[in-house]
Amino acid sequence: MERNIIFKPGMTPRELVRSALSLPGIAVTSTGMRDAGQSDFKNRIRIIDLASLAPFYNEMGLFSAECHGGARWHVGIMNRREDPFEEISILRERMPGVLLQTLVRETNMWGYRPYPKNIIEYAVDKVDIDVWRCFSFLNDIRNMRTVMETVMNKGKLFEPSISFTQVNWATNEYYLGVVKDIVELCGGVEEIILCIKDMAGVGSPKRIGNLFDAIKQKYPDLVIQYHRHITDGLALPAILAAAQNGAKIIDAEEDSLTRFYGQAPILGVKAYLEEFGISTNLNGNAVKGAVQKVRDWIGHYDWAESPFKGSDYNVTTHRMPGGAFPSSFEQAENGGFLNLMPYILEMMSLYNKVIKYFDVTPGSQITWVTCSGIINRYSLEGGIGSVKHIIELFNKFVNENNQDLNSMNEEEQDELFALFKSAPEDFRQLILGSYGKLPMGWPKDWVYKSTFGSEWEDKIKERKDLSPIDSLDDEDIELLRANLEDAIGRKSTEEELILYLMHPKDTLGYITFREKYGKTPLVIPTNEWINGFQKTEDNVEFEFQGKPYRIELVSVGAEHSGVIHTVIKCNNKIRVYQVNTERAKKIEIRTAKGPNDVGAPINGNLWRIGNAKRGALKVGDIVHKGEEIANLEAMKMENVVVSPQDGCIKEICAKLNDSVQEGQLLFIVGDCDHKA
Amino acid sequence: MKDKIQKLLIANRGASAVRIIHTCRDRKIDAISVFSSADRMAHHVFMSESAIHIGEPPPAESYLNMENIISAAKKANADAIHPGWGFLAENHEFAQLVVDSGFIWVGPSPKVIELMGNKADAKKIANEANVPTVPGIDNVNSTEEVRKWMEKTKVKLPILIKAAAGGGGKGMERVDKIEDLEQAFEKVKSEGAKSFGDDTVITEKYIKNGKHIEVQIVADQHCNIVHLFDRECTIQRRNQKIIEEAPSSALDDNLREKLFATAIRLMRKIGYSSAGTVEFLFDQDTKEFYFLEVNTRLQVEHGITELITGRDIVGVMLDVALGKRLPFKQPDIKLNRYAMEVRINAEDPKTFNPSFGTITRLKFPQGPNVRVISGVYEGADIPPYYDSLLSLLMTAGQDRIGAIKAMEHALGKSIRIEGIKTIAPLLLSIIQHKLFLSGRFTTDFIEDNLTDLISTIKVTSGEDEALKIARYLAERSSLGPTVKM
Repeated sequence: MERNIIFKPGMTPRELVRSALSLPGIAVTSTGMRDAGQSDFKNRIRIIDLASLAPFYNEMGLFSAECHGGARWHVGIMNRREDPFEEISILRERMPGVLLQTLVRETNMWGYRPYPKNIIEYAVDKVDIDVWRCFSFLNDIRNMRTVMETVMNKGKLFEPSISFTQVNWATNEYYLGVVKDIVELCGGVEEIILCIKDMAGVGSPKRIGNLFDAIKQKYPDLVIQYHRHITDGLALPAILAAAQNGAKIIDAEEDSLTRFYGQAPILGVKAYLEEFGISTNLNGNAVKGAVQKVRDWIGHYDWAESPFKGSDYNVTTHRMPGGAFPSSFEQAENGGFLNLMPYILEMMSLYNKVIKYFDVTPGSQITWVTCSGIINRYSLEGGIGSVKHIIELFNKFVNENNQDLNSMNEEEQDELFALFKSAPEDFRQLILGSYGKLPMGWPKDWVYKSTFGSEWEDKIKERKDLSPIDSLDDEDIELLRANLEDAIGRKSTEEELILYLMHPKDTLGYITFREKYGKTPLVIPTNEWINGFQKTEDNVEFEFQGKPYRIELVSVGAEHSGVIHTVIKCNNKIRVYQVNTERAKKIEIRTAKGPNDVGAPINGNLWRIGNAKRGALKVGDIVHKGEEIANLEAMKMENVVVSPQDGCIKEICAKLNDSVQEGQLLFIVGDCDHKA
Repeated sequence: MKDKIQKLLIANRGASAVRIIHTCRDRKIDAISVFSSADRMAHHVFMSESAIHIGEPPPAESYLNMENIISAAKKANADAIHPGWGFLAENHEFAQLVVDSGFIWVGPSPKVIELMGNKADAKKIANEANVPTVPGIDNVNSTEEVRKWMEKTKVKLPILIKAAAGGGGKGMERVDKIEDLEQAFEKVKSEGAKSFGDDTVITEKYIKNGKHIEVQIVADQHCNIVHLFDRECTIQRRNQKIIEEAPSSALDDNLREKLFATAIRLMRKIGYSSAGTVEFLFDQDTKEFYFLEVNTRLQVEHGITELITGRDIVGVMLDVALGKRLPFKQPDIKLNRYAMEVRINAEDPKTFNPSFGTITRLKFPQGPNVRVISGVYEGADIPPYYDSLLSLLMTAGQDRIGAIKAMEHALGKSIRIEGIKTIAPLLLSIIQHKLFLSGRFTTDFIEDNLTDLISTIKVTSGEDEALKIARYLAERSSLGPTVKM
């Protein structure tokens, strides 16, 4: 079935909204390039594989491709060693007809802390994305203002999202209030689309149908998209209910990517909705092509799947979002507490009733760290028995006694007052209002007493009702740029700076990796990326910088003193690489790092410790800033090593006549101890 | 006198030895190399007909060890000894020892070497020959004397402190701030003693806006003296030449003729024979030139003169050492091209720190206007005991721009040295600099423009980028999968 592509980059938000409204049936956003990977494969699916889907996407008739944002950013620079700017440019080239969509966490952007206005504007302005889905884990719409303004000023489509959950307090009235805030913020419904973000996958079909109907009744010209995870096993009927009650766009992913916590399978959605007479406007052949293409490479990612297999209807109480499932289980596995997961999830169900917000980044992380922390603490102190005891106690307090302290005995009260004593800083900030207003108001006072101990009343006074947008001061971007350039020792690109603003430490690691290994992440197939070569003559062929390349393994040597010599043929020329194993790294020489460290300025022979005037120096001697404290000879030239400060020699780290390497630690110079 | 040298011992190493071997090969002369323990596997060793071990790696125990070199010459039954450049090339005692031991010394007479070897004496003679010299004082014993001289003659900073016996840029310090005077003085004294065995210090006014221009001279033992035009060696770092051109772009015909006449006058006065160079500092503002020194040896940059005149200077040295007359007269010497040379030093292009290790890959440019003298081969180790010069890369063209274009391609696209760092990327960034292209630069060019030059250094090439990918695969293949399966 051939059809004209309706939604294209370059259309104005108004045109996109009108086209969606006049479309018979619904349109589909594919999450195959972002949320599918985040929900079931720890965001490890590489752009080289995803890009193979692009030609199909270009023909598929999608509303948009979600390919950017969320945690894909962070995992990209940390693990896949790809940056989101490269990903966008690759996809733009290969699917020029598809709207590219991101997911942005209002003031937290693509990082994990609230950013001030100037950083948000700076970053949004430089990212080439067509559809900006923006959510707040508190549904605090005020926090979206800066992103909204910058996106709409750029002429791009802004898609504010409502974080959805199904719970007694989250009524239609509540959600209509949020929609009203959004419509007011964005100045009407003509240039935005609204997303109902069911990030945990908990909306029952009836509830969803009812909610969409209520919003549609009040805002008939509002285009609404339904983003739903499949965790509870009820995604398809819920999607049908949404579509029957006015949803215009539905999120889905390739059937071959679908596991347990991502979006619904696209071919299934297509067939199911069409059976009910709702067109999905998809090109079936292109969809099938993409679904089939995934099977070429998805086998390389088995290792990235969650160890927790299968649908989980309990999500309707613990509410862990699909995007957080694999990473949480990975942490539990690495931390050796996988056996505690059922209790942690139970703890989360109870916690949700005490501190009410939506379990999605960064809220889901706060919930996870706080709850897993409590359970781990009890487990360490008293084993499983203790864990069961606290859950029983907390359950009684929350579910049976409605958080009424008077109904608990003194001993139980004391335990509750200590429940959050080790809660993470983010939790403390959250209940003090640093992220914005909680949707159902602040938690009860006992939570503050439990968290802050005797200071709790003062802390409640500190609590802010302002949006972080209004309370955070602008940061000096040029200063941050200078910090980055200091750290990498060269000018940074705009893209590197934005990465650095979001994830400072990991961006430095990323830049270091790319300086060493270049474009490896973008050209090497996934099997070799993960495993390298297995045997002689294993090779990869690729085109790079306009020329053909072939890299082939000749041999891997045995390890000697922590070093392996590996022979590689690169375009038929033999190369020998010296590879240091972990063992070699341990015997590395000390290098000068801190301000008190004096390193060798060059490779050379340390022929003098001290100077001509005062002779040799020893530990404890007083030296002055700029004074020569050693001399290196290299290539017949003398090279002076001077003291960086006034002080005493604390340690001499090399011996006379040592051959020293550039940067090798020679001295530690510190303040003198003034002993009487 | 012998009619032909059958066996020539080359008392040198690296590019210097290799250059002389080139001429030996052309003339079917057996080249005998010498080597220290660190150079057992060096390029010059394998290029020669035979090679003799002369001592341990430190230069004083091998390449500066006169007795060992003379013994080697005797053992090899050599006719003659060529000292190359550096090491003993300007050591008159060695020259005398060579002659006294019955070998032909390929170079000027020991007396001339001695005379010109002392900078103070050379200056005096130059003044006598009516050759202008830079104002300064000799035999400085203390910094106090320097201060007094500055006061008396109203010389302003900067000034130069030099080892009287120094050369090749070693043992020379520029003083910009009077506080630095003591340290510079001590350093020059110490380096002079260490590298040249003489701690005598001289001091001179520093000529700003200067260009370093020199005249190549060849002379026989029959009072025939011919110049082979001039070279410009203004591009220096810490007084070490790194780019040379021939002829200079700063001189007009009148100045050039005047310069040649002055150089020949001086060389005639001292009775020079063999190849030698008269170095001048040319003040672009006043169009004055000042005598700096005579290099009584083959110079590193002689190759570009060979390119523009078509003459083999090493061959001429061998001829005149035998007492033959110069094979040409002044009118026979005509310029046919422009040429330039860059020194490929094993140093970090940004910090100039020396780089040692194994050359894992070595590819030199080729082309109709390219000449290479390389002291190293692929697989060679660079030992830390000697100076950092690896290879000389020369290009020629019909005009200066033609030579620069050929060099740009040679440095930017063709040359490939892996395993150690070289200054090739910096050299490229220099020859692409607008001031260099315009010819309006001085001996301070590198210092003044260092930040600019370093910022335009292109650190990686396309091949480097591909090799980064190969490195990843090598590591992954050696260390195993990144993930638990």
